Amino acid sequence: MDSDRRRHSRSWDWDSPECRAQLDDVFFRQHDYIQAGSPEHKEFWTFFDRFQRFKTKRDMTGSGSSRKEEKKDRKQTGHVDLGLPKDYDARYRINVSVCTRDVEERLAKSEHRGRKSSSGPGPQEVSDCRLALLHFLDFNQRQSFGKLAKLRREQKNLPIFQYRDRIVDLVRRHPVVVVAGDTGCGKSTQVPQYLLSAGFKHIACTQPRRIACISLAKRVSFESLNQYGSKVGYQIRFETSRTAATKLLFLTEGLLLRQIQQDRTLAQYEVLIVDEVHERHLHCDFLLGVLRTLLESRPDLRLILMSATINIKLFSDYFNSAPVMQVPGRLFPIQVIYQPIPPEEQASRSEKLDPRPYLRILQAIDQRYPPEERGDLLLFLSGVAEISTIQEACQIYATHTRRWIVLPLHSTLSLAQQDKVFDIAPPGVRKCIISTNIAETSVTIDGVRFVVDSGKVKEMSFDPKAKMQRLQEFWISRASSEQRKGRAGRTGPGVCYRLYAESDYDAFAPYPVPEIHRVALDSLILQMKSMGLGDPLSFVFIDPPPAASIQTAVTYLKEQGALDSHSELTSIGSLLAQLPVDVVIGKMLVLGSLFNLVEPVLTVAAALSVQSPFLRSSQHNPDCATARQPLHSNQGDPFSLLNTFNAWVEVKGERGGGSRKWCRRRGLEEQRLYEMVNLRRQFKDLLRSHSLLESEDSAPSAGDRTQRRDRLTERRKLHQLKRDHEQQEGSRRKVLRLDEGQDGDFSSGSDSEEKGKGKKDKKGPEQDVDIQEVKFKLRHNVSELQDAVNVSQDLSSRQQALLKLLLCRGLYPQLALPDEHNNTRKDSEQVFHTRNKQGVVIHPTSVFASDPEVLHVPEDETREMGPDRRDSSRHQLLAFVTLLETNKPYLSNCVRVPALQALLLVANSVDSNADCTRLVVDGWLEVELREQEEALNVLSTALTLRAEWERLLQAQLGQGSMGVSGVHGVSRKAMEKLSEGLVRFLLYTEVSYSLRRLAAFQTQNLYVGPQSESELFDAKSQGLNPLFPGLEAKPDPIKGGLRVTSFFTYNCLTDSKDLYSECLRTFWTCPNCDLYMPLTPLERMQHEASCRPKGEQHNEDPSDERASSSSSASSLCRVYHCDICNEDLKLTSTEILKHKRQHMYSVK
Amino acid sequence: KYKRSPSEIFTCQLCGLSSPFTYYGQKPPNTRAIVLLEECFVTKDPFSPDKEKFLVLGSTCSMCSSCVCVGSDCSLFYTKRFCMQCVNKYLDQFPHQIQAELAKKRQSSKTAVS
Ligand SMILES: [Zn+2]
Ligand SMILES: [Zn+2]
Repeated sequence: MDSDRRRHSRSWDWDSPECRAQLDDVFFRQHDYIQAGSPEHKEFWTFFDRFQRFKTKRDMTGSGSSRKEEKKDRKQTGHVDLGLPKDYDARYRINVSVCTRDVEERLAKSEHRGRKSSSGPGPQEVSDCRLALLHFLDFNQRQSFGKLAKLRREQKNLPIFQYRDRIVDLVRRHPVVVVAGDTGCGKSTQVPQYLLSAGFKHIACTQPRRIACISLAKRVSFESLNQYGSKVGYQIRFETSRTAATKLLFLTEGLLLRQIQQDRTLAQYEVLIVDEVHERHLHCDFLLGVLRTLLESRPDLRLILMSATINIKLFSDYFNSAPVMQVPGRLFPIQVIYQPIPPEEQASRSEKLDPRPYLRILQAIDQRYPPEERGDLLLFLSGVAEISTIQEACQIYATHTRRWIVLPLHSTLSLAQQDKVFDIAPPGVRKCIISTNIAETSVTIDGVRFVVDSGKVKEMSFDPKAKMQRLQEFWISRASSEQRKGRAGRTGPGVCYRLYAESDYDAFAPYPVPEIHRVALDSLILQMKSMGLGDPLSFVFIDPPPAASIQTAVTYLKEQGALDSHSELTSIGSLLAQLPVDVVIGKMLVLGSLFNLVEPVLTVAAALSVQSPFLRSSQHNPDCATARQPLHSNQGDPFSLLNTFNAWVEVKGERGGGSRKWCRRRGLEEQRLYEMVNLRRQFKDLLRSHSLLESEDSAPSAGDRTQRRDRLTERRKLHQLKRDHEQQEGSRRKVLRLDEGQDGDFSSGSDSEEKGKGKKDKKGPEQDVDIQEVKFKLRHNVSELQDAVNVSQDLSSRQQALLKLLLCRGLYPQLALPDEHNNTRKDSEQVFHTRNKQGVVIHPTSVFASDPEVLHVPEDETREMGPDRRDSSRHQLLAFVTLLETNKPYLSNCVRVPALQALLLVANSVDSNADCTRLVVDGWLEVELREQEEALNVLSTALTLRAEWERLLQAQLGQGSMGVSGVHGVSRKAMEKLSEGLVRFLLYTEVSYSLRRLAAFQTQNLYVGPQSESELFDAKSQGLNPLFPGLEAKPDPIKGGLRVTSFFTYNCLTDSKDLYSECLRTFWTCPNCDLYMPLTPLERMQHEASCRPKGEQHNEDPSDERASSSSSASSLCRVYHCDICNEDLKLTSTEILKHKRQHMYSVK
Repeated sequence: KYKRSPSEIFTCQLCGLSSPFTYYGQKPPNTRAIVLLEECFVTKDPFSPDKEKFLVLGSTCSMCSSCVCVGSDCSLFYTKRFCMQCVNKYLDQFPHQIQAELAKKRQSSKTAVS
């Protein structure tokens, strides 16, 4: 009996930690299966308490203590005796034993010898503990095996399980197989496993979404009991779990395409599975086209297309009538109710959605279905505005009835808010999830019984004429409609309310418009070019895009400088094709690598590649707005993002996990900042791998041994935290509160902070581990990051100017001109024009929406030159990242730049009149300068700077592509000098000019057109040295005039006077040589370009520039006398110009 | 006696449950003081956060040598492993606690079906 034992056990107390610790020394030593201090160890002692209580209870009731086995005569079955013990003991049912004899002997000895540990465990205690441990081990085995058995049962119950052998057989016999099955048939998780266990190795399975790659890899590796092995892996942009042992890899379609770029035959794979082909994403359509060709050279390759049961024939036909295996989905019956919206409740375009039809359905559900019958409602609307309208109305109803929790779901919500839809409603209450089509395929919510389908979707389309993306509302397709309906039947029979008539349904398009027909094809065409796929127009797509969009893309890429005039890749183009980012972002990175601005450019490029961290819902919260204020920069949104990131890194360095609170207070989604920091790091690696950035010292970053050890210990701890978190992840869902949805979109920063605190109390400290912070610390060295960030903090105005120029050049031709009447308009009515679209507005999230004055030309600095001509030196343009039309065309992520300087430095086409006082840029912006002298100076400076910039850029790129590491194609000196020149030009050009957009009729007869040779050329002009080495001024065959550089055409504008007409000649003294004569502007520029001032290098290190240029340029050198220095110098023409320029600036 | 082959598959002859095993024997790796009382098909426990934990999938019936999983529908351990067929065959040799338990289980599964 218990009391008995206690008497015998001297001072033994099972509840005393000391006593337990003594047993820990026996059973849970450092190398034991379970170690003291581990989570299992803790579990054991909890189990032990339970086990003791159970034993006591059993002993008391006497139920188990009946030691005497009934001496029933055993009828011997046959002659076999199993030799089982006579007396029953639960111990005999455990197939494990624990040997601790060594320790026990030691214990016994020490007790015997010195009686030192008189209070130590006696044999009884050790035996009690051992018994409990055996039961504990057995209990854990049973639990885990139970889970395994359940898993296997579920796998067997999947519809696709019946087709297992047939699928494997088809794959063995055919190069291409189509597996078509609807939601819930299990194809994505099972088919790869079937192929693995059939002996196929090196399987790649593509997914349209990154998140699916990770979750599928986790799921499949879990199902194949290989959770911690590496046979199943994933690889997404910038992140991989792939190892040499990986047999099955989940990856994005885009990534597989990149792999084909490296390895034309994909020799690394034996089987390719392309999943979700019916979704018809751009990359997927393209991938299919590429694979179709690739199969010809890889007859051994197996290709499996997996699709919903939509348009299967299209895929089968595209691959030479590939066999199709159709698998039924697992859907419960769904009742469809058509409830078209009556005309009086239909919203016209401008009006808000009428909530009445939606409320009626909520009411109907409340009336028809008792609250004990569980089942949530999923409501599909077209967009965010519609969601908040209906959410508001439903919330009022929900507050009244207390039977609903209303939750919005769309991609611009914070992740925490998105996550709420997976939480559970309390008994008697239903979730009403109001979602965009994100819940149609991307997000799967269990427990939905009712679906309400508005029949509408907002889809992005690309308008090639306006070069603008457009978000428009459409009727959905029948396929989408079925998909939405299916969401009601995943866990049981369901109901689908369609807010349109059956006749509408019949009139829907059968399938959604494939992406390739809707979007800009720039990246696609660039990739095709770099893969050497020939003319994009003749490529056999499964569903070819319109020729016009291909053409638009080619033109755009030419404007961006990625393709040359023959549509061939330029050196920058081939680099851009390898960077897995948008063309404009890639350009920024490349440009940034040239100057000392890599760190801020990396941040900006990363920031512009992820969703904005500024939560829209917090914008109207005054506290958030105030807290955010110091982060805003009126230079432009990229600068606000840069400030935000820098400030965040600083907070991270100081307070670590405190950054979460910091973000909340400012209405920032911290997840985006984590994405940025990861992306930034990857961009850096990318630039390094293309030799565009010096490699950092690989030597361990400082610190003595103890420091390193500390860091190592910390990392181990972090890894443990991460593992623990992954274990808990998704294990249990929270129960929602009834008022959960109410604060929804309108939650203020301080409110949610309080809520956070409340949660913390409930959960306890361990639950509150900020896993993002843990991952962040594992991935990044905070102090290194701080160093990097310090570089980009408090940029000088000069660096800022240069950074803006880089962004502008990256973003070009995405430029917008403020309307000339903006000064007199209200803040909310500021209008802008792009080349292809007039009357666009700034998105309300942009800094320029709240602070438009900084874009205005200051009144006191303008000179009215006429009714519509205002001269100033302060005109500005906006370079923007996106132009998206929703209800209005909006510009987002804008940066302001000085207009004339930026245009002259980045534009592809600058045309002038004879005296260069009138310039037309890219055929749509007209610049009129007041002073001919100033005009020439500005133009000449710009031409020189651009030539030098181009030269250095090419040198940098050439170096990158040749992969010569260590050798720097661009000397630091040359780079610094160029940036100095650019900054001066940007900041100190004080030239008065007018700037306006040309009206359509003005662009009609812009150019003089081709001229005859005799008209243009005389011996004189040919005798002049070209402005730039290697470029000759040739007559432009289309515009007329003289093409001086690839972007500058002189005297081609129709108002131009005759090139050599005497009236243009003015007397001019060359500041460098003794020349004094009447010259035309062109003659003068040509002279200036060739007559280089000397003495330029006096204040420089002569060994650098001269040594490097002497070999290549000595033939171009000539003796030049500089008046200012009063010295004869032997210089090249470029050097002379630089020399001259130096004097020019120093005089100023 | 020790077999370690990562690619071999254990399959229960009664319920068909199959799964790759990483070890066969009585002393799975990293178990220290723990010894199995029968030769088992063992894999790493995929449900434990600790990758060192083992999971016994099944073993062979001490009477008929058929390969069975440790699920309670397929086998029973009572000092030795018995497949359910053998348990039923020699039911009377098992202690009455086990007999009662099995009878109760049979009863409840019957009611669950009906
Ligand atoms: Zn079994
Ligand atoms: Zn047997």
